[in-house]
Amino acid sequence: MNNELKKLYDVIVIGGGITGTGVIHELAKYDIDVALLERKNDIAMMATKGNGGVVHPGYDPHPGTLKAKLNPRGARMYPQLAKDLDFHIRHTGTMVFAYSEQDLKKVDELCDNARVNGVEQVERITGDQVRNREPYVSDKVLGALLAHTTTMVDPFEVAIAFAENAKLNGTDIFLESEVQDISKDEDGNFTITTNHDTYRTRYIVDAAGIYADDVAAMAGIHEYKIQGRHGNLCVVDNHLPTPIRTVMFPCPSPDTKGIALIPMPHGNYIIGSTATMRTNKEDTSNDAEGIQDLLDGAHKLIPNFDDGSVIRTFAGQRPVALNNDNDFWICESETVPHFIHAAGIQSPGVASSPGIAEYVRDLLADAGLDLKPRPGYNKYRKAPVDFSECSDEEKDQIIAQDPRYGQIVCRCETVTEGEIVAAIHQPLGAHTVEGVKRRTRAGMGRCQSGFCQFKVMKILARELGIPEEAVKFEEDHSPVLLGHVK
Amino acid sequence: MKTYKYDVVIVGGGPAGLAAAVSAKKQQAKVAILERNGELGGILEQCIHAGFGLHVFKEELTGPEYAERFIDQVEDLDIDVFLNTMVLDITKDRHVSAICGEGVLHFEAGAVVLAMGCRERTRGAIRIPGDRGAGVFTAGIAQRYINLENMKPGTKAVILGSGDIGLIMARRLTLEGIEVEGVYEIMPYPNGLYRNIINCLDDFGIPLHLSTTITRINGKDRVHSVEVAKVDEHRQPIPGTEREIACDTVLLSVGLIPENELSRKAGVALDPVTKGPVVDENLETEVPGIFACGNVLHVHDVVDYVTTEAEEAGEKAALYAKNALKKSDASVAVHAEGPVRYTVPEFVDPEDGADKKIKFRVGAPIEKGVTVIKAGEKEVYREKKAHRFLPSNMEIHTLKCSAIAGVRGDLTVSVEE
Ligand SMILES: Cc1cc2nc3c(=O)[nH]c(=O)nc-3n(C[C@H](O)[C@H](O)[C@H](O)COP(=O)(O)OP(=O)(O)OC[C@H]3O[C@@H](n4cnc5c(N)ncnc54)[C@H](O)[C@@H]3O)c2cc1C
Repeated sequence: MNNELKKLYDVIVIGGGITGTGVIHELAKYDIDVALLERKNDIAMMATKGNGGVVHPGYDPHPGTLKAKLNPRGARMYPQLAKDLDFHIRHTGTMVFAYSEQDLKKVDELCDNARVNGVEQVERITGDQVRNREPYVSDKVLGALLAHTTTMVDPFEVAIAFAENAKLNGTDIFLESEVQDISKDEDGNFTITTNHDTYRTRYIVDAAGIYADDVAAMAGIHEYKIQGRHGNLCVVDNHLPTPIRTVMFPCPSPDTKGIALIPMPHGNYIIGSTATMRTNKEDTSNDAEGIQDLLDGAHKLIPNFDDGSVIRTFAGQRPVALNNDNDFWICESETVPHFIHAAGIQSPGVASSPGIAEYVRDLLADAGLDLKPRPGYNKYRKAPVDFSECSDEEKDQIIAQDPRYGQIVCRCETVTEGEIVAAIHQPLGAHTVEGVKRRTRAGMGRCQSGFCQFKVMKILARELGIPEEAVKFEEDHSPVLLGHVK
Repeated sequence: MKTYKYDVVIVGGGPAGLAAAVSAKKQQAKVAILERNGELGGILEQCIHAGFGLHVFKEELTGPEYAERFIDQVEDLDIDVFLNTMVLDITKDRHVSAICGEGVLHFEAGAVVLAMGCRERTRGAIRIPGDRGAGVFTAGIAQRYINLENMKPGTKAVILGSGDIGLIMARRLTLEGIEVEGVYEIMPYPNGLYRNIINCLDDFGIPLHLSTTITRINGKDRVHSVEVAKVDEHRQPIPGTEREIACDTVLLSVGLIPENELSRKAGVALDPVTKGPVVDENLETEVPGIFACGNVLHVHDVVDYVTTEAEEAGEKAALYAKNALKKSDASVAVHAEGPVRYTVPEFVDPEDGADKKIKFRVGAPIEKGVTVIKAGEKEVYREKKAHRFLPSNMEIHTLKCSAIAGVRGDLTVSVEE
């Protein structure tokens, strides 16, 4: 098609992580044309799927930074968003442990930070109070910060909810669309070229995570550099012999919050995360030292932690804007107007996301974008059925309508065939084994898909109308199987 | 919601469940088998190699043939079978709830037999570092893909762990034209049965590398290589011994874990070593009327012993349901000692007049030894002939009731070199 005849979007958001999906969810409230371009075959495949999912309330960012402003703002929005968008949220609270006098000072500092950052319900408690709340905590803990308002989410589920709601309200979402070139036309609009197509837009929001600087460079912008801070994480079985219900951290260092034990919304736990800078942006491999650090970290919090309860390891890279005091890099480009950076979104990018989205919206408005409410805007999104949470009566009703809900595919997490089929045909449906897992939890449990992978694979092949050997595990070149046997 | 009433409800329709059902039925009990799959036979359905039944039938059968013998009996005896039916909960008072394509089902059971089998230990559980692309399978799932789905998991494989399924799969892959570069075992001795090392590796020229493990898996989308390294006596990789091997597939045969999620829900106490229920000689768990047998109780070496154990559990469950299970109030604990890792049962009744079958495994190979059982300081059993003990073999010994009648104090089972 001739470029001039192409639809002119008001805003194109590049990158479908928690930042990009948060922004399109926010922009969907307004009467503008918005599109999201994501290079992977699913949303939230980079940092957003490789993190701890803690909605930190905002006691640790240094007062005065963007983080200190956006983290508490975002975190406060989560409980209502969880209601409107029907995603899981668990109120856990956080404790930050002090093991020394120096740590206790740090705890006091964090309490002060909390006050300045406007974070409520943060207090200092004694070691005994800690162990009253969590009996398995180490005797060496002298005291702690207790933040009552911390919640836990599954960041992938949140990103999907954001994206589905935006789509419902008219946002165009293009997957497998890698932005490869950006040019500014004479009329002041941008032309974006992907591996598939070209798009025209008046404004760009660059939320490309660890690649945000590379995307900016395509538009001739060289205002900052991104490097990844890699983190290993472990998933822990929901039958931990020393169960906990509060997120637990040691005292933080400038680069990292330290190794935490995190109770997840669905009952299992995460140990996260290590923090080492990497130069290879694609490296999300696990390393033996990192995993050992995690286990050591867990033992420091809970001395009797059972290493045998780990069921999986994974990793992600936090996009860090260099020479920026560990702050986010969110502003309009100084050199190319109408190009908004939503970059350097390191931790706590998940917690901050709704706050970042509003901030980006205001930057767009300041840059001249006219934001009128969208007529007929729908602020809700309904999650698909989670069978394991239904009562017997509800189960009977659902099965009567569709007997596929009576067939359990994943026994560890009690996921039915009906749910998997629904996940495939959702507005932003799954089309890989891992995509099904992230949406339904099939394969997440302790057997790690040993029993259900072949079933999921066959359902995918059937529902997508493709041969079984064409079913992908995750990335584009990741066939589960390599053909047929004789 | 439908409600059923049975004397004995059997959870799981694999070899253990089938044998338990047949045996309970022979005691005139009303029996139901609940099976989540669409067919009976459990894991045997995918074990198309021969080697089953040598003890029970004195014949070498394939897995499906072995299962068929019991499935036929289940049909002949008119035992009720609920297929595609997944048990979601069991209560202490033996209320079993399940779902199937017709909805939620409830069962009131006089006795319950747990026969859910086991699952394979995974890559995540052993925390192999590296990338997490496609191409890493447990040996069992690879077996399923090849034998039942006619699908090819890869073209060149490295196998980690020398458990029996891994050994069997080394041969199976080779027969399907999939190259097996080698089998790597972190321990200094193999984990599978001796006969499988000979028949599955040696006969095909597949090398077995002991004291060696995979230290890294490479390939973000799909596996393209692994790094292996020798390990020291603490199972830690020895720097400088790393070697990279190109492959597109990794099979794991690194252990089996009894599947006791439902047992936990029923409040059944588990043994930290076997990861299966704690049982007495009747195979009854600490929750009255709930019995366990087969791999859900402890991982067995051959299916024949699962069958004999399950027959006993089925019979005892039927007797329990009819209030006819004989028990005295006496009970002594059975402890594993020295090289013995665990025993099943963990409790016996010294006064009920019945001989006791004591099963156990050792933690490391013993070249020559004898099994000794003591009651306190008093020796109550000594094996006559010294022999080799291997961790891969389950030992079964019969302790005469007369030998322990009137004993006080716990029994200890050990092996003397
Ligand atoms: C180990 C670890 C633990 C963490 N724990 C927490 C926590 O507990 N709480 C918390 O709040 N935060 C946490 N974080 C931080 C959080 O994960 C990140 O801040 C957040 O996910 C960043 O989101 P994003 O959308 O900016 O980036 P990403 O999720 O990386 O998204 C960027 C997207 O852009 C796409 N993209 C890139 N280039 C292009 C292109 N050229 N064309 C099109 N698309 C492109 C990518 O494919 C990707 O989908 C953690 C991070 C890590 C690594």
